[in-house]
Amino acid sequence: MRFSRKLLLCTIIVLALALGFSGFYFVNYVFETSIEREIRQAMEESRILRFAFETAALNAPAKYDILADRTVEEIGHSLENGGSGRRLRISDENRRVIYGSSDFQGDGALLDQTDETVDTWQIFHLGEHYYIRTCMTTGVLDRLLYLETMRDVTEVFRERGLGFLVYRRVTMLMLFLGTFVMHGISSWLTRPIRLLTRATRRMAEGEYDYRARKVSDDEMGQLTMDFNRMANALEDNIAMLEDEIQAREHFVAAFAHELKTPLTAIIGYADMLRSHRLDEEKSFLSANYIYTEGKRLEAMSFRLLEIMVTRHGALELQKISADILFQYIHDMYVNNRTMRFHLKYDPGIVWVEPNLIKSVLINLIDNGCKASEPGSTIEVRGCQRRDSYRFCVRDHGMGIPKEEQEKITQAFYMVDKSRSRSRNGAGLGLALCAEILTLHGSRLEIESEIGKGTCMSFVLRGEGSRGVDGRGREKG
Amino acid sequence: MIKILIVDDEKPICDLIDLNLSAAGYCCQTVQDGGKAIQMIEEGNYDLILLDVMLPGVDGYDIMEYIRPLKVPVIFITARYEVKDRVRGLKLGADDYLVKPFDVVELVARVEAVLRRYHKAENILSVGEITVDVEAHMVWRGKKTVELTNKEFGLLLLFIRNKNVALFRETLYEKVWEGEYSGDSRTVDLHVQRLRKKLGWESCLMTVYKVGYRLEVPQ
Repeated sequence: MRFSRKLLLCTIIVLALALGFSGFYFVNYVFETSIEREIRQAMEESRILRFAFETAALNAPAKYDILADRTVEEIGHSLENGGSGRRLRISDENRRVIYGSSDFQGDGALLDQTDETVDTWQIFHLGEHYYIRTCMTTGVLDRLLYLETMRDVTEVFRERGLGFLVYRRVTMLMLFLGTFVMHGISSWLTRPIRLLTRATRRMAEGEYDYRARKVSDDEMGQLTMDFNRMANALEDNIAMLEDEIQAREHFVAAFAHELKTPLTAIIGYADMLRSHRLDEEKSFLSANYIYTEGKRLEAMSFRLLEIMVTRHGALELQKISADILFQYIHDMYVNNRTMRFHLKYDPGIVWVEPNLIKSVLINLIDNGCKASEPGSTIEVRGCQRRDSYRFCVRDHGMGIPKEEQEKITQAFYMVDKSRSRSRNGAGLGLALCAEILTLHGSRLEIESEIGKGTCMSFVLRGEGSRGVDGRGREKG
Repeated sequence: MIKILIVDDEKPICDLIDLNLSAAGYCCQTVQDGGKAIQMIEEGNYDLILLDVMLPGVDGYDIMEYIRPLKVPVIFITARYEVKDRVRGLKLGADDYLVKPFDVVELVARVEAVLRRYHKAENILSVGEITVDVEAHMVWRGKKTVELTNKEFGLLLLFIRNKNVALFRETLYEKVWEGEYSGDSRTVDLHVQRLRKKLGWESCLMTVYKVGYRLEVPQ
């Protein structure tokens, strides 16, 4: 059952019980009061009658001071006619009726409970009428007589019935109206729940960007806010996971492709070598292709291994002079005659893992070489900044298109595949660089213009900035 | 002569396909760039195009859109093996789909199958005094009909299509019997010997020591 229905039902039950009990109590209270008053009046009247009877009995001429039945009868008759609607019955000691009004009803049960000290009364009904019967004793001239009266109280009972009837109607009306009002109220109260439920369902169906509307400022509103906050967090997480999965799928697809291409060549040429009778030129070509494609696979597997190791390895940062890094680069490329290298750097201290950063620099320089025509200049700069040190590798090659710049740090991504392959590229260098720089709490910044060249730069922590990056462990 | 255009961004693969198809008697041209490929398709009148899907510049699917109205048969060559990729290629109108890494023998067979579908390959093959009608499954030695079993016929076709190529027993088994080669060479040897006898090829269907067989035809 829906919550609003439950709320409605409970309220209606409580309302019905409250109205019923209060109505019953009220009507009954009125009735009790009236009936008590009637009883008091009946007793009063009875007492007056007794007095009148005694007076009349004493005044009647009596023989030997004995009250004769006949006298009693006469007095009874006169008493009955003394008031309108008065009904009475007089019995003697042996409960024998001496005088009784014509329509006086009732057995002698009441007489048994009555004696000189106790007056009794009884309510009974005859047909549709209710009566109060009173009974008391009177002692006149040595005789003990029972005097009974009867009083019609149907009106009181009728009023009680009428009261119940009216009250029932009022209760019904109130319940009817209450149902309507409570229906509105419970709907209004449970609206945030309904909205929240709808939001939950829509989200369960995969509509992760759906949010519940906040309609109140109470606990429900708070719940809605919290729910939405949770949904936001979930959506972010899902998006992150999806991105990750996509990146992984992309990686696997690219990896498979990169693996299959050299494999196809190797298998194909090897097959040719073993099944065809090739002339010398063709067998050299085949063998050479097998060799170069094999080399490509080797380079790729090394790079992949490096990335894996970097991703999972613990990093130990050292304080090192920029001078050492640039000296290393200088030594690496001093024998390279195809390109011109231009190194310029400020003295400074950086916090790095030297081998990894050397690898980054060499990768960037190699990329610059691959993108440039032989004989052009590669500039490598180091600038000391406040608390940090900036490395910059600039080439004057072909440049990277804007839309490609975001993707080039993905593994296996190559802007110009045929060109970079011809130079033994696997499309992993920049992915490795990005990975290493992330470990250093830095990232690769790319500025490039097509036809003019590319500038790849990154900023490392310099001297006096220890503790900026929580991931690196420091070693003095 | 049948002209085939090979579009692949990998020079080694282009050369590989070129060498093998040329040896099978086709005239091949290779191109590594998508844009250039379109230009060549426009100018040259090719009978078949072998197309790599992942190309720099213009994507293989884009080139396919361009080729379709020309009604030139196309075989896709790709490293992607997923069903959705294959379906996409075939829906675009490719005639076949070759997944890298591929066997050279398979490449030649598929090329011929596609060409035959377009009635561009010759149905009648002949080597020496042997003539083979591929469609009719008929073999003649001179003017006399030679009765061959299904497997023998398959072997014969494989040898004729790969003249002067050493065919390994496992290749023969995999292509003709279409099952995994278990190392038992007797089945293949027996069939080859019967084929030799029926066709009188004792001198030209050579055993290659420890490897398999080669059909030697003077070029």
